[in-house]
Amino acid sequence: MFSDLIFRNSRRGRKENGLFFASLVISIVAFYIILSLSRQDVMIFLAEMESDAVNQLLLMIPVFYGMTLGILFFLIYFACKYQMERRRKEFGVYLMMGMRRSKLFTMLLAEDFLNNILALLIGLPTAVLLSEIISLVTAKLVGMGILGHRFTLSLPAIGFTVVGFLAIKLAAFLSLSGKFSRQEIGSLLASSSGNEKKQAPAIVYGLCAACGAVLLSAAYCLAIGGWAWHKTGSMLLTLLLGLLGTILLFYGMRTMIALLVKTGKTNRRLHVFTFRQIQENVIHQSTSMAISSLLILAALCCFGAGIGIASTNRQAGEHVLDYTFRDYNTENPQQALPRLQEILKENGLDSQFSQLFEMRIGHVRTTENYEGVFRMNSVMESLRSLPQSEERDILLNNLSYTGFPYLICLSDYNRLLEAAGKPALTLAANEAAVYQDAEFADTVRVTMLNEIFSGCPGALLDGTPIYLTGEVQSVNFVTDRSITLSFALILPDKQFLHYTQGDYDTYINGIMSREATQGASLMTAISDLNGKLAGIGLENVGIEYESYLQNIGRHLFYMVAASYITIYLAIIFLVVANTIMGVQFLMNQQKTGRRYQTLVRLGATYKTICASARKQISWFMGLPVCVAAVSSLFGVKALYTGLLSSRVRETQGEMLMVSAAMIFLLCVVEYIYMTAIKRSSDRFLLTLMQPQREE
Amino acid sequence: MEPILDIENLTKTYGNVPNQTKALDGITFQVMPGEFLGIMGSSGSGKSTLLNCIATVISPTGGRIVMEGKKLQSLRGRSLAAYRGQTVGYLFQNFELLDNLTGRENILLPTSLHGVAEKESLLRLNQLAEYLEITEVLDRFPTQMSGGQRQRVAAARAMILHPKLILADEPTGALDSKNGKNIMEKLSGLNRDEQATILMVTHDSNAASFCKRILFIQDGVIFHELRRGDESQQDFYGRILKVMAQLGGGSSHVF
Repeated sequence: MFSDLIFRNSRRGRKENGLFFASLVISIVAFYIILSLSRQDVMIFLAEMESDAVNQLLLMIPVFYGMTLGILFFLIYFACKYQMERRRKEFGVYLMMGMRRSKLFTMLLAEDFLNNILALLIGLPTAVLLSEIISLVTAKLVGMGILGHRFTLSLPAIGFTVVGFLAIKLAAFLSLSGKFSRQEIGSLLASSSGNEKKQAPAIVYGLCAACGAVLLSAAYCLAIGGWAWHKTGSMLLTLLLGLLGTILLFYGMRTMIALLVKTGKTNRRLHVFTFRQIQENVIHQSTSMAISSLLILAALCCFGAGIGIASTNRQAGEHVLDYTFRDYNTENPQQALPRLQEILKENGLDSQFSQLFEMRIGHVRTTENYEGVFRMNSVMESLRSLPQSEERDILLNNLSYTGFPYLICLSDYNRLLEAAGKPALTLAANEAAVYQDAEFADTVRVTMLNEIFSGCPGALLDGTPIYLTGEVQSVNFVTDRSITLSFALILPDKQFLHYTQGDYDTYINGIMSREATQGASLMTAISDLNGKLAGIGLENVGIEYESYLQNIGRHLFYMVAASYITIYLAIIFLVVANTIMGVQFLMNQQKTGRRYQTLVRLGATYKTICASARKQISWFMGLPVCVAAVSSLFGVKALYTGLLSSRVRETQGEMLMVSAAMIFLLCVVEYIYMTAIKRSSDRFLLTLMQPQREE
Repeated sequence: MEPILDIENLTKTYGNVPNQTKALDGITFQVMPGEFLGIMGSSGSGKSTLLNCIATVISPTGGRIVMEGKKLQSLRGRSLAAYRGQTVGYLFQNFELLDNLTGRENILLPTSLHGVAEKESLLRLNQLAEYLEITEVLDRFPTQMSGGQRQRVAAARAMILHPKLILADEPTGALDSKNGKNIMEKLSGLNRDEQATILMVTHDSNAASFCKRILFIQDGVIFHELRRGDESQQDFYGRILKVMAQLGGGSSHVF
């Protein structure tokens, strides 16, 4: 009998409050996805090459898990509260009929447990499926090929998901049932309508709204001006100002809505009622609206940052070279290339490369004095004569450390240019070109330098006059993107050999032949060749190599880590914010259901009250979303100012794309939520259309 | 003169066989324009069921209710809503004012539902507010008003669209005797001055003494009818009490 009641109640609970049940399932999916990150194909692949970085990321997973736990606790708490609030009268009746509180508690706990089990039964397979899909999609997107995909079920992830989910569920349940058990039967039985809060004069709220707007503006200024990033203190101040500003703004928003009530035409269908309802919601829930708004803002910023970081990595230079070899055994650098060719030929791997060429890099060895070997006073003078700007000052500072530059051999560099499909450089005996790695070559600064170099300014290299000519070069000279040169001179071969006195390092660059890359993606081809090279034991004869794959790996890692984590957080934040708002709206609608009944008696049609409720939902959810959207414009700009490299800052198009994508995502999510909540509200209103007989 | 409301052989049964309860068992009566009709009866006699049938809150099992020549059971959707809002005005026992709307907004709610021109409704509002002495509470919220003021605001809301018939469900039920008397005076004043037709359900004999005619219902049938002739309200009250005593236990079928 008792168990029948439990089964019936829990079934009814799920039916009546689908939103709540959906939020339970979402929490389970969220837990599993973050916990199973290490089992994703991309992560398994990366762990082989970038194990340190991957391990560091995986070490952070408990932090994200904890964070998700905290955020989802609030979600579950609110949803549970709504559920219990709905049933308070029922609890009162149980107690009136002589059910002991402990029995009621047991009953609720059992109902809750049943729901949890069902949520887990639905949530876990969904989570596993979703995580597999994500794994496959990312693998496909990064070109790894999905043939090697294996279905993985992470047992620890399932364990932690179940434990975490049950723990927050139980915590929410205990704190709520404690609250309900302290109430008297009388107050449980009385269907409470919107409890009255004492109202302060309108001017107070007006001032609050104004203060909020001022504080928010201050936070915006600090953020986009870049001051927020100077030190932790100012960052905290900015965040505090933003937080306080948003809360105050929502606290004072009731005045604005009161104005809307008054300005509208009173004979517009239910205009006054609709806006009074919105106002009441804003009054009762200003803080949670503010928090929802901040969560949405956090989501937008996470999303923006994720895309921004991913796009910075995408710009990390074009792909020209597949391999760079370095021979550590040979004394004579000239012997490095022939030796490698010989080894490859012996093992039948020479056909794998269409090109193998040297890249010789050295220093000036014609003098013992390393300071001021290279001077380019006329370049510095020309720079100083330019109008003062931040970029000019950076350049002046950077170029003051170029007294002992690297030297690059022209013929080697020209082969590189040829491979990259660029025109070759020609230099006279007394000429040199400047090389700067793409990482240091900011567009504005490069343009400045190119303009100066177009006048062939003179310089002194070990006391000999040379002329700097041509444009600044920045094609990566080895495969490894972590080897960079901030400033080097490209010299004709004869001069190079003279200045280095034959004492230079030789890197051997390789480009894979068509035969090697045929019929497979680049990643698979390099991966295969890596296997073959490892098979012939190159390391044993002192030859080390770096393939483009490691670069992709590093790049991929940043992209995957940044986008995965940030987009994951963004979605969690969005889901939580929207569920909190939706649940609160429905809770309030439930409490004030009698008003709708009165409206029906006064002759309102179902259509009219639904339209009013729908409008309320649009406003109630739209307000936090709008505030968040405005804040996010500044938030994302601030992120770009503070976090990302100057190169991204310049790409206005990129920013527009990020914003457009964010707004699109927001629109989609909000539309889905609003539709769900509007449907739920319509369903509830339909139950009020047939007024019950009352005596 | 044509009756406003014509009720013929009305029946209402709750529940299914074999546990059926007949709340109304063939009730027939008419309401004339300008009449102030009271319906009295003890708890469970069927008087609220009758009122709810007229208000279209519940539908009767048999018989018919004809309002100004239109059969209520045939109304659907928009015409049903228009009937609820414009043909009848409902006065609730618990006022049912929306507590997040001011007095003025509550009163104007039906006008906004039925798209009445603002100017016209404001004129009517001022007229009613003055008569019902609620002008100074118009901008207050219901929680800031006394019970009597709330019921008068509710009365103004019921009257704002000039309904053909005002249905009052125990209008004094939630009020103390002083406020109860006050609202009854106002209602009978509206009946007298504006020829408002009122159908009131009550079991308060004091309130009923303001009516011109009273129908007594017992076990779903009309048991007795009282008409107030030229006698004083006090004498009418005395007659009501006698009938109530009979209803309450003086009759032959008890013990």
